[in-house]
Amino acid sequence: MNAGAPTTSAASGTDAAPRRIVVGYTANESGADALALATRLATASESQLDVVMVLPSEARSSTVPTDVGYERHLKARSRAWLAEASAGLDADIAQSLHVRYAESFAEGLIAAAHEFGASLIVVGAARGGLLGRSRIGSVANELLHSSDVPVALAPSGSRELAASAGVSRVTAALGSRPGAGVLLDAAVNLTKTLRAPLRLLSLVPIDLPSGMDEGLAELTGTAHADEVLAAAKRALPAGIETTAEVATGDTIEAAVRSLSWHEGEIVLVASSRLAMPSHLFLGSTASKMLRELPVPMIVVPRTTAGSRPGAGSHTGAGPRTTTGESTS
Amino acid sequence: MTNQPDPTSSAPLTSASAAVDASEQGGISKKGLSAGSVGLIGAIVIGISCIAPAYTLTAALGPTVSEVGVQVPAIILVGFIPMLLVALGYRELNKRMPDSGTSFTWATRAFGPWIGWMAGWGLVAATILVLSNLAGIAVDFLFLLISQVSGNPEIADIATNPFINVAVCLLFMLGATWISYRDMQTTQKLQYWLVGFQVAVLVTFSVAALVETANGNAFDATPIELSWFNPFAVDSFSAFAAGLSLSIFIFWGWDVTLTMNEETRGSDKTPGRAATITVVTIVVLYLLISVSLIAFAGVGTGEYGLGNEDIQDNVFFHLAGPILGPLAVLVSLAVLTSSASSLQSTFVSPARTLLAMGHYGALPEKFASVSPRFFTPGYATIVSAIVASVFYAVMRLLSENVLWDTITALGMMICFYYGITAFACVWFFRKVWWKSARNVIYTLLAPLIGGVILAVLFFTTLIDSMDPEYGSGSSVGGVGLVFVLGMVVLLGGVGVMLWQWRRRPAFFRGETLSRAVASE
Repeated sequence: MNAGAPTTSAASGTDAAPRRIVVGYTANESGADALALATRLATASESQLDVVMVLPSEARSSTVPTDVGYERHLKARSRAWLAEASAGLDADIAQSLHVRYAESFAEGLIAAAHEFGASLIVVGAARGGLLGRSRIGSVANELLHSSDVPVALAPSGSRELAASAGVSRVTAALGSRPGAGVLLDAAVNLTKTLRAPLRLLSLVPIDLPSGMDEGLAELTGTAHADEVLAAAKRALPAGIETTAEVATGDTIEAAVRSLSWHEGEIVLVASSRLAMPSHLFLGSTASKMLRELPVPMIVVPRTTAGSRPGAGSHTGAGPRTTTGESTS
Repeated sequence: MTNQPDPTSSAPLTSASAAVDASEQGGISKKGLSAGSVGLIGAIVIGISCIAPAYTLTAALGPTVSEVGVQVPAIILVGFIPMLLVALGYRELNKRMPDSGTSFTWATRAFGPWIGWMAGWGLVAATILVLSNLAGIAVDFLFLLISQVSGNPEIADIATNPFINVAVCLLFMLGATWISYRDMQTTQKLQYWLVGFQVAVLVTFSVAALVETANGNAFDATPIELSWFNPFAVDSFSAFAAGLSLSIFIFWGWDVTLTMNEETRGSDKTPGRAATITVVTIVVLYLLISVSLIAFAGVGTGEYGLGNEDIQDNVFFHLAGPILGPLAVLVSLAVLTSSASSLQSTFVSPARTLLAMGHYGALPEKFASVSPRFFTPGYATIVSAIVASVFYAVMRLLSENVLWDTITALGMMICFYYGITAFACVWFFRKVWWKSARNVIYTLLAPLIGGVILAVLFFTTLIDSMDPEYGSGSSVGGVGLVFVLGMVVLLGGVGVMLWQWRRRPAFFRGETLSRAVASE
């Protein structure tokens, strides 16, 4: 074992280091979806891929005796899986493969993201989703509740889209709540790196407290939506191709369905206000969106996108206590 | 596994192995295999939970009493010796050739594919036998628990209806398979509580039996004598051998504590200590319970006598009520939780051996598949569960004393594969026996003596069990059921082996797992 090879993480952390994307890989369809999406993002943004398999750590064992022989077998098997996955990738993509041990998949991925200074974690979201739509699997769910690094969820079927397809558009889903600033920053960064057009999507009309009078909701909603979009557009730097849309519909699901989606599109949403500062937490609006979205979704923590632990700065939102739902 | 080509050696993957290995050197926690491994208390808890003393004793005490009468404590003490001797050899092999196939891989290495294959078969058969027995005991206690809680004694009798019994047992098996397949683990804290509870209940049960006896409330008060601890007081060698092969079963599972944590950094003493503390706890518990129950109930054939065939296959089930009264519900709970957690750890063992057999081409490749999501030997786990379920269902319909007969047959199977493992150790290390005094003891004397004892037990049990009166007295065509069972399992193994030999000759030519000998 222990070949005294140089560590791959030695180069990270310097300014010259490429952006890095951590892929939570499993040797099944969900893992293939994650890998395909990550490859597409890495190709478009010239990032390095860190393909990570997380194996259960011995320490979590409480009933089953640990067995060195079996652990070795698992490790060898995982390496073979990684090798197979890597063989299917375009050789031009900078990549490194890792096996990590952790008590849970999510924990291992977050630790790996910190270790490599990665700006994004990609996992397969789907677990029995219908018609290509995503239902959050337990892994993605845990990750969304504990990651301080943006998380991309690859819906099932992502593996059918070629890496060369790139990212055709970035849609930033804006709610009415604070957090939009962070989201906009992230969206701008992403569109720059991916060289993709930006679509601002206002969810305001449907992102209102439930039980509100319908007519009133529509009125304030539409007005507010335009306002938010206008403000967002003003905040954008020049040179970004931007369109804006307001989502309409009785429910979030209906609204998402009524929108048009490009094949290579990705959606950006902000983490919920319920999340701890600089940690992710998927609000119910975003959860409902995810169920309907035919395209990948990236969830951004409330503080600056891609912030590393310790580098976290301000928290975007004050302790507001409204009980309504937000995109976040 | 030990000798497969490193899949990461091809060009684009150097970074993978570099990353993997580098992180293990770095001393950063949670990355390496050994980091954050199970500690001393954790290892003891896993050890006790694997042995499952509450389950083991309720299943084995009756059959042992039927063989050796009041000398059960002596048999328990003596039975530990071959187990210890073989476990020492097991540890040496595990250190030199850690492999999930354990006995299968080691015996193949030492003696070649044919004997190796049969050792693997013996291990799988033994664990599948115990799986069905565990589930059977759990069913009995589930109904007992319900009847105790609801205050309706008739419910406990539902367990004797073979169809309901089999149906519930299959449900148990399904649950255990689900848990094992997904590798769901209880939290360590809960596991500590469960094991602590199990031990506390067993102690309470024994003390209550002694107190009742002292108060003159015993069913058949039998004064405790020193001769109970004297193995030479057993009537015949046959009885002694049969008792011994049963008592090997009661320590089975203990070897895991000896081999756990072998590679843990800075804890060279942990496995030894964990194993010692575990076995001392277990032996004390076993002695306490056997002495107190014999003192309370005697070994006669009366209603609650331990010699009564009707209660022998599950003695706690029948004695908890008379001894503990309303608190008997605690015993039911202890046995239930004990069998439940043992089911999971027991499942692992045939699954991992089947996986290794598939991996080396001794069985279809499907057996080697690992669930990509849960990292468990998924296919092998499911096959084990199906075989154990079918086995239980058939046995339940064939034999009125299914639990008893499976336990006896199980002792025989353990002697078979454990004996081969012991001899494999001796043979594998033949060139290094004389290199050090340590080697003389651990690679020659201990496993050799242990192996010989197990071999004698195996053959004695095999011959004696031809008698239709053997064990519970169930028979098929005038031959003891235990013998038939043992033969069906072993000859069935030979049949499957020959079939695999035709289908997969590479393994049997030694191409996938070659013979080897330790040379340093």
